[in-house]
Amino acid sequence: MGFLAPWFLAGLAALGIPIFVHLLRRHIVVPQPVSSLMFFERGIQSSTRHKRLRYLLLFTLRFLLLLLVVLAFADPFIRRFANDTRSHLLLIVVDRSFSMRSGTRFSDAKQQALSLLASKPRSQRAQILALGGRVEVLTQPSPDSNLLRTTLEGIEAGDGQGNFGDLGRTIRTLNDATPGPVDLHLFSDMQKTGMPGNFADAVLPPQVNLTLHDVAKASTLSNWTVESISAPAELLDPKDTTKSHVQAVLAGANTPEAIKKVSLVIDGKILSSREVKVPANGRATVEFAPLDIKYGFNRCEVRIEGDDALPADNGSVFVVRRSDPQRVLFVHRSADERSALYFGTALNAASHGAFVLQSVAVEQVTDLDPNKFAFTVLSDATALPSIFEHTLEQYLSKGGSVFMALGLDAGRRTHLPLWGGDLKRVRNFASSEESAAVSQVDFTYPGLEQTQPGRDNGGWAGTKFLYAVMVDPSNARVAARLSDGTPLLLEKPIGEGHLLVFASGLENLTNDLPLHPVFVSFVDKTSQYLSGSEQLSGMRMVDSFVQLRNAAEASKSEAATSEVIDPDGRRPLSLKDSQKVQTFRFSRSGFYQIHFANGRSAVIGVNPDRRESNLEPMSQEIRALWTGSNAGAAEVEKAPVAGTKYQYVSLWWYVMLLAFVVAVMETVFSTRYLGTQREEI
Amino acid sequence: MQRFLDPTVLAGISSLDLIAKTVVDGFVSGLHRSPDFGFSQEFAEYRAYVQGDDLRHVDWNLFARTERCYLKRYEGETNSQLVVLLDASNSMQYGSRKPVKADYARYLAASLFYLAIRNQHDAAGVIVFDDEVREYVKPSTRQGQLTRLLAALEQAEPRSRTDFLKPLEHFQALLHRRGIVIVISDFYEDPETIVRALEALRFRGNDVVLFHVLDPQELRPELKGPAILVDLESQQKIEVVPEYVASRYREKLQTHIEQLRTRTQAAGLEYQLLPTDQPLDTVLREYLSLRQAER
Repeated sequence: MGFLAPWFLAGLAALGIPIFVHLLRRHIVVPQPVSSLMFFERGIQSSTRHKRLRYLLLFTLRFLLLLLVVLAFADPFIRRFANDTRSHLLLIVVDRSFSMRSGTRFSDAKQQALSLLASKPRSQRAQILALGGRVEVLTQPSPDSNLLRTTLEGIEAGDGQGNFGDLGRTIRTLNDATPGPVDLHLFSDMQKTGMPGNFADAVLPPQVNLTLHDVAKASTLSNWTVESISAPAELLDPKDTTKSHVQAVLAGANTPEAIKKVSLVIDGKILSSREVKVPANGRATVEFAPLDIKYGFNRCEVRIEGDDALPADNGSVFVVRRSDPQRVLFVHRSADERSALYFGTALNAASHGAFVLQSVAVEQVTDLDPNKFAFTVLSDATALPSIFEHTLEQYLSKGGSVFMALGLDAGRRTHLPLWGGDLKRVRNFASSEESAAVSQVDFTYPGLEQTQPGRDNGGWAGTKFLYAVMVDPSNARVAARLSDGTPLLLEKPIGEGHLLVFASGLENLTNDLPLHPVFVSFVDKTSQYLSGSEQLSGMRMVDSFVQLRNAAEASKSEAATSEVIDPDGRRPLSLKDSQKVQTFRFSRSGFYQIHFANGRSAVIGVNPDRRESNLEPMSQEIRALWTGSNAGAAEVEKAPVAGTKYQYVSLWWYVMLLAFVVAVMETVFSTRYLGTQREEI
Repeated sequence: MQRFLDPTVLAGISSLDLIAKTVVDGFVSGLHRSPDFGFSQEFAEYRAYVQGDDLRHVDWNLFARTERCYLKRYEGETNSQLVVLLDASNSMQYGSRKPVKADYARYLAASLFYLAIRNQHDAAGVIVFDDEVREYVKPSTRQGQLTRLLAALEQAEPRSRTDFLKPLEHFQALLHRRGIVIVISDFYEDPETIVRALEALRFRGNDVVLFHVLDPQELRPELKGPAILVDLESQQKIEVVPEYVASRYREKLQTHIEQLRTRTQAAGLEYQLLPTDQPLDTVLREYLSLRQAER
């Protein structure tokens, strides 16, 4: 036993007070006068002795009270062996990531976890977590062995990626919510790729004692996988060899040089097979062309024949949709012929005929139905016929997409159709000496998406803008701004549709964008985004999300229904979720059928994260660093818990409780004593 | 007026004269409704003439009608002598409430003197004693007698201790004419000793009344815990436990009172227990009763 705040023991000097009051101070007894002692006899029990006894009892209580208060401030503690684990929370984490499908890893992990659970003391609380894709807390802390065992047995291997950084974050959150010593047992194949780039993400709190249970039997396993697939999501003409081909990259981890047979399977039938020589620990590319596919969705897979350490990653699925070219409605001011020319040329160059532009003057659009087009472009057409404007509003609310460019005519208007706000003012840079440039570009926006934009701001730095219209950006996403801060590209969700506003014209009078190569890329990506063809097919990764409806529509009570059918043919969304859920997470690999809230349907191939295919375990140094990662922090903390033979339990609460009891007793005794004394005097 | 017979009320009055007047006036006004008592000079009875009787008392009208001599007798025709023996020992200064026993005794004596002198025209005197005779005022009906008596009472502050035997011889020497002797004391003495000391007065033809003055706390003492008690006369201290006071003490005191009552009655003495919370009319009533009986 010791004291965490021993300097408070100086308060023991206060013990002199009751000693002085009770023992050193002379007690004065006031005798009571009586007329005569004729009828009185000396009492058997000495009154003085009786009082002295009461004094001593009161003195003891007061002495004890002061002593306990001083001890409580000094914060006493007892030291006991740290291996008394009954008070520790047993945290069992089972890795169910995709790599655990290799051999008997997952079953071994579950078996070892069940053995650990069976050996825990009956009163010890335990909690079960599953790692894979995201960390799932499967139970609350409970001593109920049956519940824990049932939960543990119910865990199944998943297709997600195990990230020890996510595990570290989850454990830190749990430990913040319910502090206390934790024994964490991780049953995993200890994949090297599971460790995050920043080791600090995986660091555990000081009170968590980590024990690693490696279920990977061999240190190095040879595994080949289809690392990546390059295939068109949409195909117009199978004979067009520029697009009608599939390129797959095969990669080997801890593999010798080998010749692997690779097949392209479409709708369950092997369309073509190739043999490719994969170097040791290297990559090889194989290409299949042309793609002889039917109209509609074609479920494709590139598969490596043969067996290896992880057969589940030998295939990679994707979807190619064959369709006819889609029409795009281009509405322009009658006097404006240039914008249609520039936009149409760029669209044709980018999509290779996937879209056909139908140019119409604004005065002729009254009877047109925008639902027959992939999307609609309004080029400086702010003076729309009211019937067509209403039709476009309906079209937008049901999931249509409109791209609106604001040219010279828009500057003369005060009202901006469809957007829901007035035009603020016109920025005319022609009158000034310097034109405006594009200064801010959101490269994560689908229409401007670039993975690695160059120093020229992704090609946008060279563009010059002489004219732009200020649009109210409230409730809109601003994807690009000019150098003076004027929003250039804005998107606002309306109903299930999208309204994209380009604050300048599509001709070369208001800007020189159509003369730059980035214009083609911009038109291509914007067209794909607005037509929605981008997300109707292709491939995704496990644990990625797909948007089923707009956020504004999700909050409505009578929202349109969306539907998801997973690779097993089941519907993971309940009826309520199908009307409310905004996004859906792909938790498994395979083909998902999706019916979006805007009425469109898609089939998407989902593949596991290819980092799971590298079965190389993390080094012993990293393991030692991780399991001992909390030792340094423990020394910083005042109460050492983990990593030592002893743990310290503070007793101040119990001491204060005892002091309270003594204080109550002292009050009762002193009240009785003082009350009697008053009456006697 | 009955309110002024309450000792607690009287304790607020500083003058003994005023206290006595208040008590007696209040008492007398209440007597008008009483059939048992009357004033002097009232007709009482006829008695046959015997030789030696004063012829002035013969009812000559009756003699004329009957030719027989009868004497007409009146109430209060004969004056009495009242002597109060007042205990002024230290034990009389005890009191758990006002008035203390000594004050209560003085109120008693003053009221008796006032009643005797002003209303009954009796001679009255006082002997203040403790273990000896401290003050003596000879019984008299002279002018200013009441003032002298009250002055003697004022000076009778408690001191020393009680001894009945020692001043007895003085009592006998001083009381050579028979009358009413009232002894006011707390009688912390052996009953046998008290009776032996006072029965000599009875033998001399006095009507002796013992007024036993005790504080209510002495009759029913209560202690919350063990205590040290000190005797006011001897200054002796002893430790006493509450259990004893609640049981044995009360038994012994009651035995003492009963013995006192029994022994005094056996010796022809009157005994009256007077707690200090009791109104004073009892005393006055007792005095008038004795005076009537004496006649």
